[in-house]
Amino acid sequence: MDVIVREVAKVWNAGGRDQVAALAPVSHRFASGSFSCLLGPSGCGKSTLIRLVGGLESLSGGTIEIRDPVSCALQPVGKHSVMMWQGLNLFPWRTVIDNVAFGPEMEGVSRNERYAKAREVLAVTGLQAFAEHYPRQLSGGMRQRVALARALIMGRPILLMDEPFAALDAQTKIVMQIELLRIFEAARKTVLFVTHAIDEAILLGDEIVVMSARPGRIKEVIPVNLPRPRSLDVVKTPEFGRLFDHAFHLIREEVTRAMEQQMAESA
Amino acid sequence: MPQKLSWSDRIGAGVFYHLPAIVSFILFFAAWEILVQWRDIPPIYLPAPSAILVTLWKMAADGSLFYHLGITLFRIFAGFIVAAVVGVGLGIWMGMSPMVARVLDPWIATLYPLPKISLIPLLIIWLGTGELYKISLSAFSAFLPILISSYSGIRQVDPDLLKTAADLGASRHQIQAKVVIPASVPAIVAGLQLGMGIAIILVVAAEMIGGSGQTGIGYLLISAGQVLETEKVFACLLVLAAAGAVITKGQDYISRKIAPWGFAT
Repeated sequence: MDVIVREVAKVWNAGGRDQVAALAPVSHRFASGSFSCLLGPSGCGKSTLIRLVGGLESLSGGTIEIRDPVSCALQPVGKHSVMMWQGLNLFPWRTVIDNVAFGPEMEGVSRNERYAKAREVLAVTGLQAFAEHYPRQLSGGMRQRVALARALIMGRPILLMDEPFAALDAQTKIVMQIELLRIFEAARKTVLFVTHAIDEAILLGDEIVVMSARPGRIKEVIPVNLPRPRSLDVVKTPEFGRLFDHAFHLIREEVTRAMEQQMAESA
Repeated sequence: MPQKLSWSDRIGAGVFYHLPAIVSFILFFAAWEILVQWRDIPPIYLPAPSAILVTLWKMAADGSLFYHLGITLFRIFAGFIVAAVVGVGLGIWMGMSPMVARVLDPWIATLYPLPKISLIPLLIIWLGTGELYKISLSAFSAFLPILISSYSGIRQVDPDLLKTAADLGASRHQIQAKVVIPASVPAIVAGLQLGMGIAIILVVAAEMIGGSGQTGIGYLLISAGQVLETEKVFACLLVLAAAGAVITKGQDYISRKIAPWGFAT
């Protein structure tokens, strides 16, 4: 699915008559089957943008089009996408397999059928042995896999990921990034991946959408022409270093601006 | 994977963990016994633990202990079950329907701070001094905290979980049944524990009110006190404390089985 964002804006009510512009009008086309990383300082509206694409927040302005790339038919927002949340939002009273099978259960798929499907997805994410565990019994990295499996089982062509690996330790993070690359390269989806780690954005993305401090707008789109399938080795290539420098200089100004904004607000 | 411990290991570990508390119990009762014997304190003021145990044994042997305890427990559970069914039901209904919440909120705010013991005269006028009065009093008193916990449990469900469920295709109805209710189970269970404590207090209080029947541990306690049978008073207190501890621990155990995710340990 193509995701076409046109002049999309979001304004929050900050109590009373105060309004905060979270997202200035933003336009971009996220191409079908490509991995886009949204990079920017905290509070630049990256998460807001993917929530809008997922139909999880209401628009304050502009339009979002979800289009089938072959037939060009317009599709309803939210029906073809699934979100992997920053806080994971696993259901603590459900076992791993019942968390993963939640979506099919809501669709009325029979117990045997949805468990079989869930076991397949759990195998892809390496969690077969933990189907009967509860989320609290798992490590951080394993919980991430459950959340990913719960999103993947939906079989939706658009995957929205809101800083999914931010809370992981450095080693687990690398393992999860490599897993995600493998899963993406096996079944191309349209991925919108929010992050504030430059190296993560280059390692995973086909393009990096650099966003500016509040109100968020798109500052620059950096294409990442590193060949796929990718491994951690791309980090050692000169192209990676060049992209990193370029993104870093763009981001540095924005992070400084964002910090000044936050200090002015708290003063 | 944590290793499964054998029963004997677990009991051993349990005894070791509780050893300081057990020692403190033994020291306390030993000091009490010695004090009474040494200063020759009249049993009317403070009977020795050994004398209390003898009384307790006699009460158990003639069957009066289990008779009165059984009646008291029946009243506690009858009141609690009524309170639990009505309280949880209404609490969930309030949590799901803003209109119901708007109607009931002022009623709860007015009735909650009212000391429930103050309802005793009215309940006796209406219902007499029989079972219905005692069970109604404990049911009504236990009902409010159960209702409030259930209601706030429903309202405090993490809104992100609701969005997650909606994103995964759940309908409004499915979100309520599959997310809101299970997510509020820990709060509901906590309310039930609170309600049980209150049901125990109010049943015993109702039994202690003069002329409200000749049964129950509360009656035994007050009638022993009136004739200065202090050993019997202590025996009743001991029974009440033990029954309360068993009920609370049992409820805690059941709660952890029902909603293990709602507890830190």
